[in-house]
Amino acid sequence: MDTLLPQQFTQLSLQSLSRSRQPFLQLNQQVFQQIGIEEHLQTLKLKLEPIFLHPIHKGTIVAATDTSTMKIAETNAGIVIAVRGANIWKQNDSYRYTRIGPFIFHITEENRREVYNSLEKSYFNSTREPIHQNAPNLAQMPLRIASLLERWLQAMLTKTVSNGVILFDGSLISGTADTPIRRMSEILSRGRERGNTVLAFSKMTTLRVNGCLITDLALDYRPPYLLETVGLKLKAPMLPLGEVYVAKLGKSNWAFRLDVDREVPSEQRIEAVGKLLGNDLVSQGYPETLRLAHILCTFTANEVLAMQHFITRNCGLKMINRPDMHRLLFGPFGRGESYS
Amino acid sequence: MKLYRKEGNIVQILSFPNETVEKGDYLLVEDGEERRALIVQVIDVQFAAIPGVLEELLRSLPDGGELIQGEDVDPLEIAPHITYIQDATLLICKIRATVEDDSLSPSSSWLPSRSQSTIKKLPIPTLFKLAKTNGKLPITLGTAKDSSLLTIDASSLDGRLNIITGKKETGKSHLSKLLMVNLVQYKATVVVFDLNGEYLSLGMTSDGKRNVNYDKIHVLTPSQNFKVALKQVGLHILLGILVHALHLPGTSTREFRRIWKELRDKNMLTLNDLGETIRNWNCNQHVRDALFSRYHALVNCGFFTDNIAEATLLDESLSKANGEGGAIVINLRNTSAIDRQIVVEYILGKLVESLTNYKLKAVFLFAEEAHLYLRETYWDDIVTRMRHFGIFTTFITNQPDTIRENIYRQADNIFLFNFTNEHDLDVVSRASRVDAETVRSIARDLPPHYCLALGKAVRDFPIVAKVKALDLKTMGETRLFFT
Repeated sequence: MDTLLPQQFTQLSLQSLSRSRQPFLQLNQQVFQQIGIEEHLQTLKLKLEPIFLHPIHKGTIVAATDTSTMKIAETNAGIVIAVRGANIWKQNDSYRYTRIGPFIFHITEENRREVYNSLEKSYFNSTREPIHQNAPNLAQMPLRIASLLERWLQAMLTKTVSNGVILFDGSLISGTADTPIRRMSEILSRGRERGNTVLAFSKMTTLRVNGCLITDLALDYRPPYLLETVGLKLKAPMLPLGEVYVAKLGKSNWAFRLDVDREVPSEQRIEAVGKLLGNDLVSQGYPETLRLAHILCTFTANEVLAMQHFITRNCGLKMINRPDMHRLLFGPFGRGESYS
Repeated sequence: MKLYRKEGNIVQILSFPNETVEKGDYLLVEDGEERRALIVQVIDVQFAAIPGVLEELLRSLPDGGELIQGEDVDPLEIAPHITYIQDATLLICKIRATVEDDSLSPSSSWLPSRSQSTIKKLPIPTLFKLAKTNGKLPITLGTAKDSSLLTIDASSLDGRLNIITGKKETGKSHLSKLLMVNLVQYKATVVVFDLNGEYLSLGMTSDGKRNVNYDKIHVLTPSQNFKVALKQVGLHILLGILVHALHLPGTSTREFRRIWKELRDKNMLTLNDLGETIRNWNCNQHVRDALFSRYHALVNCGFFTDNIAEATLLDESLSKANGEGGAIVINLRNTSAIDRQIVVEYILGKLVESLTNYKLKAVFLFAEEAHLYLRETYWDDIVTRMRHFGIFTTFITNQPDTIRENIYRQADNIFLFNFTNEHDLDVVSRASRVDAETVRSIARDLPPHYCLALGKAVRDFPIVAKVKALDLKTMGETRLFFT
């Protein structure tokens, strides 16, 4: 396994923390959630003829990956963030996982470019990729670093799993700042070479048909089934690398947007979803493997305390409570930053 | 450790896994600026309410209740910090005293600084030094939790009412033997009502050899080496036996008083003459029958004799013990319930008489399972009247509800062994020298041979100690069927 990126994560993490010599301001932890901004043209259509699915019980590995990031403190110069990712796979009726992190970074205006570019370069050996001259701004950094880790974890899965179903969290839209087309194409391509099919589940989508979210369309069919979409066109430079479906895999009311690698033949795409149904638990219409990946990488309050304890102990930094300006200014009428 | 909150006289302290604190330990919460410190005792150890712990636990068991297998790559080694936070404990502590200028006061009216206070364990010897418990007659009970010796002063038992209680086989008799042996060594007179023959070998080592106390232990077995002559008994004591042990009705008691007076006047106080006089006494037939039945009970118990030579042991033993110290063990094993009451009535009457006449200075009375031989009215007598005569009682029982509530309220020292039964804990917690939370919380978790010492002996600082072993021959073991 290519371990250059995790090593670089560790190294940069420690470096960024060691350079800090100012008290940390504690804040209400902020979880960043990646929500795809998919400005699509109004050309999307939904085929109302469902594709009914049948579970295929032929032994197939189902693997999933997810990452999580959180801002755990603020300094005068920047922010302290934590990133963690997890790969999980189901084989022979049992789940196994590899969880990597948490990595803690102190990101400042001074070091953000260095941190981001070093990670990009080291991780993807991206001699071919242009190094970002303009690294993401401070506010974007948590998600961008998490994206880097997520792509690396996804790449690891596509390199190690054979003839399996690989589940990603989110969509297969590329051409965005954190998902260059080439990077995502390579991941998908490697997956195909080893006989894998990548399925990407989005918990939230902005895709609409006739003004209605595609996942909200209530159709009176007996699940599991897929609804195929056609005509998805995104504003440049975004490019969908997957065929978009609405997947209603369980009897619950929820449907999810499902992107399936579009380079895979149509029959194989449907078969992959059948294999998913036959080899993984699908609770509330969502695959258990992906749910576990999310659960394993999410930070609990206890872990946030532990990370704050770590930076206090190991970096000699002191945590101080950040004054809540809403409360200070407006007293009982201040809603506090947790509501803001 | 960090001070977390205070409510009433309860302080909550946050403790981390590298700080080993247990129930019963003492802590010193020192406020440098105030130049004062609180002495608190841990009465319960709970998990700290750490946010996210439930999620953490749920996350580790998502696979149908089985641990999900996997590998954690944790390059920054955050996991030990997670464990550190997760295993943090909340110490529920009771405020015992305030230290100011090296002196103690029971005040808990001030609040030490939460951010500036330092909290450290308070070793028992330091606590005792602060409490100024350095007496001249030390009795080492055993070792406290911090391995230091727990030593009380024999004078803290002097003139006091003590209770030793706990479940079966937790070490009550062992502690009472330890106290007795030490009191005897300080030349005290000890009387033991030994229900199960457990104290017969106080003068022997575990390998059956004589120990230093051998000559000071006087075992009196009623009807065998311990008998009394009617002349020695006295009307008052005998009436006590007849009325309280043998339930003689009032009318018959009056007749008996007349009979006794006549026999005494004629110097005929013998069993034989008593029987003859009752037979020939001019009185109602029912009264005569009542008197006869009690007379036969006295004769049949074998405790009374007309031979004065046979009836000198108690006086001799008391006399010896009064000078050099000694334990008079009244062996009540194999004695019927009525005979037991007769003997106890006699002994208590005799002790009061000897103390009243200043033949004895004072007596430490150890009464095991006293409800089995002590009549109702004696309980109050013992804790109030007899104390003034110089009888200082230690009750030993595994049924705390057999001792009246007013006895607990007046107890000066309680040595509490393990109890798990809520009802038993309720009863003991009525003692005025201790708070109910301490009793309930600490006593429930005491291992065998550990006792919670409460009261004046420990200057009202409840202390858990492992009672030290004694090189004494074990007696009174339970007879078993299978071994």
